Amino acid sequence: MPMGHTATIEAGSGGLTATEHRLANGLRVVLSEDHLTPVAAVCLWYDVGSRHEVKGRTGLAHLFEHLMFQGSGQVKGNGHFELVQGAGGSLNGTTSFERTNYFETMPTHQLELALWLEADRMGSLLAALDEESMENQRDVVKNERRQRYDNVPYGTAFEKLTALAYPEGHPYHHTPIGSMADLDAATLEDARAFFRTYYAPNNAVLSIVGDIDPEATLAWVEKYFGSIPGHDGKPAPRDGSLPDTIGEQLREVVEEEVPARALMAAYRLPEDGTRASDAADLALTVLGGGESSRLYNRLVRRDRTAVAAGFGLLRLAGAPSLGWLDVKTSGDVEVPVIEAAVDEELARFAEEGPTAEEMERAQAQLEREWLDRLGTVAGRADELCRYAVLFGDPQLALTAVQRVLDVTAEEVQEVAKARLRPDNRAVLVYEPIATDEDDEETAQ
Amino acid sequence: MTGVTVTMDFHPQPQAGEPKPWAFPAPERGSLDNGLTVLRCHRPGQQVVAVEVLLDAPLEAEPQGLDGVATIMARAFSEGTDKHSAEEFAAELERCGATLDAHADHPGVRLSLEVPVSRLPKALGLLADALRAPAFEDSEIERLVRNRLDEIPHETANPARRAAKELSKQLFPAASRMSRPRQGTEETVENIDSAAVRAFYEKHVRPATATAVVVGDLTGVDLGALLGDTLGAWTGSSAEARPVPPVTADDTGRVIIVDRPGAVQTQLLIGRVGADRHDRVWPAQVLGTYCLGGTLTSRLDRVLREEKGYTYGVRAFGQVLRSAPDGTGAAMLAISGSVDTPNTGPALDDLWKVLRTLAAEGLTDPERDVAVQNLVGVAPLKYETAAAVAGTLADQVEQHLPDDYQATLYQQLAATGTVEATAAAVSAFPMDRLVTVLVGDAATIEEPVKALGIGEVSVVAAE
Repeated sequence: MPMGHTATIEAGSGGLTATEHRLANGLRVVLSEDHLTPVAAVCLWYDVGSRHEVKGRTGLAHLFEHLMFQGSGQVKGNGHFELVQGAGGSLNGTTSFERTNYFETMPTHQLELALWLEADRMGSLLAALDEESMENQRDVVKNERRQRYDNVPYGTAFEKLTALAYPEGHPYHHTPIGSMADLDAATLEDARAFFRTYYAPNNAVLSIVGDIDPEATLAWVEKYFGSIPGHDGKPAPRDGSLPDTIGEQLREVVEEEVPARALMAAYRLPEDGTRASDAADLALTVLGGGESSRLYNRLVRRDRTAVAAGFGLLRLAGAPSLGWLDVKTSGDVEVPVIEAAVDEELARFAEEGPTAEEMERAQAQLEREWLDRLGTVAGRADELCRYAVLFGDPQLALTAVQRVLDVTAEEVQEVAKARLRPDNRAVLVYEPIATDEDDEETAQ
Repeated sequence: MTGVTVTMDFHPQPQAGEPKPWAFPAPERGSLDNGLTVLRCHRPGQQVVAVEVLLDAPLEAEPQGLDGVATIMARAFSEGTDKHSAEEFAAELERCGATLDAHADHPGVRLSLEVPVSRLPKALGLLADALRAPAFEDSEIERLVRNRLDEIPHETANPARRAAKELSKQLFPAASRMSRPRQGTEETVENIDSAAVRAFYEKHVRPATATAVVVGDLTGVDLGALLGDTLGAWTGSSAEARPVPPVTADDTGRVIIVDRPGAVQTQLLIGRVGADRHDRVWPAQVLGTYCLGGTLTSRLDRVLREEKGYTYGVRAFGQVLRSAPDGTGAAMLAISGSVDTPNTGPALDDLWKVLRTLAAEGLTDPERDVAVQNLVGVAPLKYETAAAVAGTLADQVEQHLPDDYQATLYQQLAATGTVEATAAAVSAFPMDRLVTVLVGDAATIEEPVKALGIGEVSVVAAE
């Protein structure tokens, strides 16, 4: 039976607690009780993402995630969706660089069904996986790629920036959606091998959050998941470590049919889970989060050279995180004008650091984002899995907000100075072309 | 299956436990001395409070040639007051950890504030300042107008946005505000200045015709006093009733291709207008529409996605445009999604087959049961956050529905049978009364679409 350890309310955890358990087959289980609403969230993170894919098979982790909804030993066809929705639940799965997650939010009295379903596919997916669902989901995923990336302006920007920021051969060089050619090349045998390699209880964390009875819940977990064998067949992921900075400014100009010029850039930032990554988050918030940020004030309000300007953070644990700048120009403004202003603001920020008021604002914004994320059982379940899978300790999810509030202005300045530099970025410039040109890919 | 060894112990599918009671929260209704209607709702544990303010400033009220003035006004609420400049106002809001969104739509203007409860007093103060004494400074309005003009080409380039714009233009008579983009066109937005924004504000924004909805964990919050000190300080005249023209639409079956040469997918938007929430058929229409295209296991995706792989997903939905007790309102009923370019003809053919089969054979009882179980069963999940509850309460006010409407709707859904749901779905999506907008590569898709015989086909340029 699982061993647990007692829940304690840690400072800054907002009164939330979580307990951890481990089945004999290696499945880690995290439980968090909250009886305010009669709902329970089930979240299962598999420690596999696009970084585990090999050359020629990009997109396989995500395509595989789709196959997880095509039936398993005791579940026919779309039964997973049908049963959860018919029980008044909601569900989905997503794939990122570092993990694949599956989740169901259920009315409390239907929790056991979600556990049964997740266990069935963890233990017996291959009993149902066939050529027909492989061919069908390959087409669905290719249409997902077209809809979300290929058929919208700037849709492939993120893919291009990632490819620039992480060198050829690096596990994060390609994004989870993968290439059309690789999606076409994937075989049923690839999918089977992927499942056998990565879908094991000892490569997963299961969190269950909400209106639950921990004892009964653990007994269900043991009953449904306990007999699924673990194995050690998972190869170590390729090393994602890179120097702190790129060391030069990389640049790609894309001439495409887009509505306006754009300046985008990706900066290499500290790995997730470090104090420096929280400092980087605050730096990006001061510089480019919301409508009181330095870049928004400069480019949108004062210079009026941009229609939108902001920074985002892609937190990554196994490689440097990415700070993602996105500026769309106003009217006929040229990119160098924007670039000069951005450089000036970043240099000034590195020089003077954030003001006390900027720190207060940025911390208040990030605090609200955390309250939002932890305010639903599904959000909490996902964060508990995240900290368990990536950092080995789910409890860190409950104190994350306090760590952001502990960061000092000096630390924010330090990370900005070290990382937000022209020689640590990949730049992507969009120059619109007139319609009616052929639609060949430019560059690369 | 070939040589797969299954080693786990299987157990039969578990049975559901005893359901726990849950009801859509009932708000407490009151008003302030200035006439502002207030709905409040305590939601334990929801530390981020949601405040929705509804203003009776519908798009219909925008003066001729000034489409977009309501949008610019909505945005200008957060660009400075009698106490703060635009930059200061944004900074003060963010210092509270708050977000404030504002947008204008057919029924009116809506402001949505979200803030941790610990900073609610300060954020409500800022919201009240914005409504009571917006600066509408010339240069800020100029900037918002310019910014809005810059946004338009981005919307035109987005297939889904472009399709929505075309469908509105096709469905509604040119004289109707609904035929034109909600946020205005290049021609109309250019005409907007601070005088126009202020005039619109003075004519249509006042507490007596506004409602505030406050939802969240209000433990220890003296909301009455807090609202009195903030939104209570907002003054304005009482309002006279404004006549609202009925919604009419031309749903003669036809196809409009918005040409996007080289597009790898075709964006579909197939729609018409139909019953809104004041019509008795609404619950059956919700149920029938869900069975047709509410989710991945509904009829459309079962064929178009899960059998044929033509799409990442196609959805059918009903979205209220305006709803009123006198029956003048309407909802947009539509099917939307993207299909790959070469399969555009076959996908539409299958889509029509799905509609034809539905009309000929109707829904099945198990299909209806699963839909009811989902629509009713997901309610506690759907309304976990304060923002979700506040949004629905605000919709009810905006649509002139009683405060217990949502709670009652769940009972009505549960009581709706297969026959009623079928009838509602079939009359919501009649095969010969659907306007089909396709944003895609006309050179490739025009001929195959013509061959389907689903209506006269015309091609228009994307811009």
